Amino acid sequence: MLMSEPTAEYEPLTGPSAELASAEFSSLYAENSRAIYYLALRYLSDPQKAEDATHDVFLKAFRKLDQFRGEASLRTWLYRIAINHCQNLRQSWHERHVFSNADDAVWENAMARTDSPLRVLETKELGQRIQKTLDALPEEYRLLLLLVADEELSYEEVSELVGQSPDAVRGKLHRARKLFAAIFGKTA
Amino acid sequence: MKQQSKLSAEQQQQHAAEQQTQAPPAREFASAEELLRYDAAHTTVPPGIARRLQKSAGDLPAPKTSWWQRLFGGGKS
Repeated sequence: MLMSEPTAEYEPLTGPSAELASAEFSSLYAENSRAIYYLALRYLSDPQKAEDATHDVFLKAFRKLDQFRGEASLRTWLYRIAINHCQNLRQSWHERHVFSNADDAVWENAMARTDSPLRVLETKELGQRIQKTLDALPEEYRLLLLLVADEELSYEEVSELVGQSPDAVRGKLHRARKLFAAIFGKTA
Repeated sequence: MKQQSKLSAEQQQQHAAEQQTQAPPAREFASAEELLRYDAAHTTVPPGIARRLQKSAGDLPAPKTSWWQRLFGGGKS
């Protein structure tokens, strides 16, 4: 667990203070809900679970916001809660990945054939193809790509979120991109 | 001349009809991230989440030390 459980004392909040809290939280939700929902959706591969997870993540954030120190951006902080939450969910389901134990040679062969751009003819089923591709990736690569896709996060922030050095992230990202392209090409 | 312009109009109509039935041009993404960004931008957050959250957060007592005070100044510590 990267996040500790809330330890703050609570007391009822009423009047203008409550309204201010509500307004600020609404703003926080409006600015970040798409990013968090998208991560949950593609990471958990289930719209209903993603909806529940997004609700739970923001509820946790609401309860823990007094513990936010400002050392990271709010987006990064929310991602941390979301990643922990989703990883806990996945562990509890005992889910396994189709290719997670594949031989390295299989990966290398698949990746060697993919240097061209990703071509999409039909955007209607694009979401399904993306999900299928992400589901086939090792969990580490899936998370990495989803985080790097968020332009608001720097490499350093992504590194912190996945607990690895920026150099390690760059190396893995290179492999993740190639593998994604290889698998995506087969989903057409 | 009149026949020519009639033919031309027919050809134009045919061309327009062909264009309508043709598949949209392929879209290319330079990387997985670019594709995911496009996908994320076209993903709608279910409105039910906000409603549930409003109810759930409303049932909770607020933190003693206000987070917005920490963020926007005027905090207790």
